[in-house]
Amino acid sequence: MVEQLLQSLSRFLPETTLTVALCSTVVVSLFLGRKSQATLFVALAGLVLATWFSFDQMGVSETIFSGMVAVDPFSVFFKLLVGLSAILILLFSLYSSEVQSTLHRAGEYSALILAMALGMFLMAGASNLLMMVLAIELTSLSSYILAGYTREASDSSEASLKYIIYGAVSTGVMLYGISILYGLTGATDFYGINRALTEESVNSVALLVSIIMILVGFGYKISAVPFHFWTPDVYEGAPITITAFLSVASKAAGFALMMRFFKVSFIDANAVGLPTGVWTSLQGFEWNKIVAILSVLTMTLGNLVAVWQNNLKRLLAYSSIAHAGYMLMGVVVLSDKGLAAVLIYFMVYLFMNLGAFYVVMLVANKTGSEDIDSYKGLGHRSPLVSVAMVIFFISLAGLPPTAGFIGKLFLFAALLDATWIWLAVVGALNSVVSLYYYVRVVRNMFLRDPEGNAEPILFSTPQLAIVMLLLLPTLFFGLFYSPMVELANASVMMFGIR
Amino acid sequence: MLTEFGKVLLFLIVGAMFVAGGLIASWILRPNRPYPAKLSSYECGEEPVGNAWVRFNVRFYVIALIFLIFDVEVVFLFPWALVYRELGLFAFLEMAVFLAILLVGLAYVWVKGDLDWDKPVPQIPKIERDRPAYKQQTPAEPVAV
Repeated sequence: MVEQLLQSLSRFLPETTLTVALCSTVVVSLFLGRKSQATLFVALAGLVLATWFSFDQMGVSETIFSGMVAVDPFSVFFKLLVGLSAILILLFSLYSSEVQSTLHRAGEYSALILAMALGMFLMAGASNLLMMVLAIELTSLSSYILAGYTREASDSSEASLKYIIYGAVSTGVMLYGISILYGLTGATDFYGINRALTEESVNSVALLVSIIMILVGFGYKISAVPFHFWTPDVYEGAPITITAFLSVASKAAGFALMMRFFKVSFIDANAVGLPTGVWTSLQGFEWNKIVAILSVLTMTLGNLVAVWQNNLKRLLAYSSIAHAGYMLMGVVVLSDKGLAAVLIYFMVYLFMNLGAFYVVMLVANKTGSEDIDSYKGLGHRSPLVSVAMVIFFISLAGLPPTAGFIGKLFLFAALLDATWIWLAVVGALNSVVSLYYYVRVVRNMFLRDPEGNAEPILFSTPQLAIVMLLLLPTLFFGLFYSPMVELANASVMMFGIR
Repeated sequence: MLTEFGKVLLFLIVGAMFVAGGLIASWILRPNRPYPAKLSSYECGEEPVGNAWVRFNVRFYVIALIFLIFDVEVVFLFPWALVYRELGLFAFLEMAVFLAILLVGLAYVWVKGDLDWDKPVPQIPKIERDRPAYKQQTPAEPVAV
């Protein structure tokens, strides 16, 4: 028993590191760091270590703590993704006026970011329904507080309140669904559910109801329509650093959990006559059709509503909803190729979306506005940052030669492979719509004259270095994408699945 | 025979009957002689002041949260104490880590002044970002607590 626990603990090193870092930030903020950035650096060190330790776990495949958490290439991939985005967010925070003007609370800020990252690390590995709920809650509770971090601004508190209400309701619905699923299968771990469903057939209506209810929880986490209502208000009200973190890491962790839950619980291990990498669902239960409907709704609504937005944070919020829709297409196809496409898309999305949010933050620091009109003539006032923004937007729209194109290419290839032609067509049409609103910002930056103040905006060298850190991968992976594809193909392996 | 859930249902029914039986039996057996002191709500022997339905200071919330954490800590300590002899040093270290994490939390609330009852007047939100006029709130007067 004790040996088993110790064995598990040694595989739990990234999470333990994050916990230790969390406690240290609290202690440092109490005894050293009044009005200093010390806690941000402690958190940064903790995250770098935790990411390094997860990198070390590459190639491991086992479950720990009696099957509560799986450590496998799939979870390691998402831990790296979450770790990397958290590191970038902390770097952003060093230059965010919202964080820097409230340095006396920076301890809380860094501790909560660490708590969120810890929750997401657990979400990436959770392979038990209870662990899943706990991990989602740890992530959500920390993000509720962080969404209301600038408490001097009332829209920040509004964001926090809306977030907590939606979060509470969707977690409640999800828990209800979980209780039905437990009643049907008598198991809480994903492998046990799979075994129960293989052995005997269950009431298909009850199964459908429970899966739809569980999807509510996932849909809320990845902001899929119709569970997206919190997204625009929270993204607008929260500090930009937190908005960026939510839009990438929180979504990635939600997708990781969703893909693991569906693949491990519902894969039919005894299916015959399927090509390798393609799987089928147990008992003919076609949950992927529900996900397909969600995907179409999500990308269509996200893109169509984004067209009307004038606040850039809201625009990016709707665009991130649309991107969740694209990525759901990869879950629909029931193949390793589809999952690999989602992983590739996330790698790309990390750089381009964080990049876009970072530029919005830099500009808002200087002009005090996130309005699309304040971007008029920005191309003349700050050429380098504007060109970077154009590249991030082209990548988000999915045009070559950027990484965003590669992400979409692999998604559509997986869809066409599985003959989901109509879904691919809807996805392609949506990309065209998205081009319109991204180009609207670009037009304001380069083809409109600045209103009022036309002074050049200057940024410091480290600020520009971070822009480059995000810009170069966005361009590089657009041309040289094979390492990314190899990593994704190696990372779709989950513990105990062929 | 009973399924596992049947046993749970049976447990619920027996539990409800146990409570209802006790209440009904005492209602039948006891003499009925009410007087004002007997009918007033019980406040640990003190004479009740005012109504129970008053607004509580929001700071009780923080106190309640802190209490809850240390209450749960004790709940964890009992089973730990039971198996301590078998697990030995490992159990000791594990509980030490758990307590250390809680102590960090206690130090945090202490230093941040959440354990002091005399707290300064709450600060009223000042900065407004640009948002429509109808949504802007007029700051409320500080309320003495």
